[in-house]
Amino acid sequence: MSFLGRGGPSPAGGVNHERIEMAINEIDMVSDVFNRIVSSCHAKCISPRYAEGDLNKGESVCIDRCVAKFFEVNKKVGEKMQSAGASA
Amino acid sequence: MLTLVQKTSQVPKSGARAALEYTGIPPSWLDKRPKLPSRNWLIFLSVTTSIVAYYVYDRRECRRIRADYSSRVEHLAKDPLGTTDLPRKVTVYGAKWPGDEDHDKSLKFFRKYVKPILVAAAVDYEMVSGRRSGDLANRIADEIKTRRRVDSGLEPPFQSPMPLPNQPTLEQKRKRELEGGIVLVGRHTLKEFMSGLKCGWTESMDRADREDVLAQELASDGRFDEPEESVVDPEVVDGEPLPTRSRLPPSQNAALFSPLQMPSSSPSKSMQSISNIPAYLDTPPSTIPTLPTLLLVPFTNHIGFRQVPNMLWGFFNERHKVRAGSKAAYSLVMSHTRPFAAPNTTVSTSEVQDSQAGGRQGGDLDFDLPAESYYDGAYTPSETEKARKTYYDALPAKLATARALARGTRAPTKEEDSHPPPTEVELRAERLKKEMRWRGDEAGWDIVKPGQPGQWDERFADALQVFDEPRANDVG
Repeated sequence: MSFLGRGGPSPAGGVNHERIEMAINEIDMVSDVFNRIVSSCHAKCISPRYAEGDLNKGESVCIDRCVAKFFEVNKKVGEKMQSAGASA
Repeated sequence: MLTLVQKTSQVPKSGARAALEYTGIPPSWLDKRPKLPSRNWLIFLSVTTSIVAYYVYDRRECRRIRADYSSRVEHLAKDPLGTTDLPRKVTVYGAKWPGDEDHDKSLKFFRKYVKPILVAAAVDYEMVSGRRSGDLANRIADEIKTRRRVDSGLEPPFQSPMPLPNQPTLEQKRKRELEGGIVLVGRHTLKEFMSGLKCGWTESMDRADREDVLAQELASDGRFDEPEESVVDPEVVDGEPLPTRSRLPPSQNAALFSPLQMPSSSPSKSMQSISNIPAYLDTPPSTIPTLPTLLLVPFTNHIGFRQVPNMLWGFFNERHKVRAGSKAAYSLVMSHTRPFAAPNTTVSTSEVQDSQAGGRQGGDLDFDLPAESYYDGAYTPSETEKARKTYYDALPAKLATARALARGTRAPTKEEDSHPPPTEVELRAERLKKEMRWRGDEAGWDIVKPGQPGQWDERFADALQVFDEPRANDVG
């Protein structure tokens, strides 16, 4: 019987609670990042008055740039926190 | 005649005097005659006021010009865009201005004067900077060679590691690039661009890593060879007093050299295998596919003490730069194109004529020619020569130390224990880095130096267009 993980009894079906926990956390983090992006870039790029449902070019370009910058900053902050956590 | 005896203070005063009389202002102030300040104050105030007023006028003009051009293109930003469509994207190239340590100056000019109009028109941009002289030319040549390899089937097109459902095909990507455009900031960028274009479409499409090629060349250079310590074969030595560097006593060095020869021999093997591109594929094509339209943006960077008056003038006259940048951006947004004006072919054939004519080639390659004179003398080959000489003079000593410590012939001193000197591998790597930098600088200066004509090829005449202002009769 092979051990599937560090967790306690490993059921034969291959469901490992530790891995499920990790997956749930990852989904939570990703959806949290997504929600932040949506609310932040919507507040910055899309004006409250509009006439049609489609995004126009200005808003499109603005959102592209907003998301790109958000991810870059997120990555940089993550790296800084990691190095701070590793050193401290 | 009425003689009315009245004290002067009882004469009814008019207007302001009467109104202010009881306000508490000292009466002497109300009786004084207004007079101008003294001569010196007048000089000071007029000079200061004129300088400040000129500055304010200039900045207001800048704002007005920017707002004017923005309002002309704003309507484009309000067009709807489908959720799967992408906006128009231009590539901005900005090479390093010779002599300036800050490689970003060209792109700073773009960001300050051209970008606002592009943002107002919702045109996306991608900025590519040349970190060192000649970097941009190399990058463009590499891109073109990759494209040639992909087109001739030697290499599969780039697959992103995460395939998304809406990935554009290669044709769609190329079409989007073509519709976008290329922005070249400054004449030096234009020269590097043309040089990269020519190299890319003329040289073989081999994937040759420049570092590997240079490492091979340096390995056979003999600088890292052992100096002869004793005369080995008296009949073979030509009577030269200096030890011939190329003869290596093999018994001493077999162990040391074999690991060091390996990295230099494997690139030679890989080079030979890849350079077997069949000759029928490798010939430069006779026609070049159309390039995205070019936008030539005039840019002059003033650096150095002697150009301080130019800097002052530029500080007080930014409206000209704003106008030039906004006009260029407007012509890009409105997509008014015209074919690239080819240079006079008779001039470009002989170099003597070029230098006599001051590098004038006619046509669009003369774009912003006066800007060249501002970086004349920014780089001289003699400074690299000097650096090379000092480095190679100091190298044998370092090499001897490294070898002595590695072989154990000498115990390390206290300082060498605490700060270990560089090993032979590190010395080779350092030499490679330095040589790359020196050669890159020399090659880059060769491309952009004043008087050096921009590279041209007959095939370019059909493949290049330029953004230009709409002529009066074109505007509908």
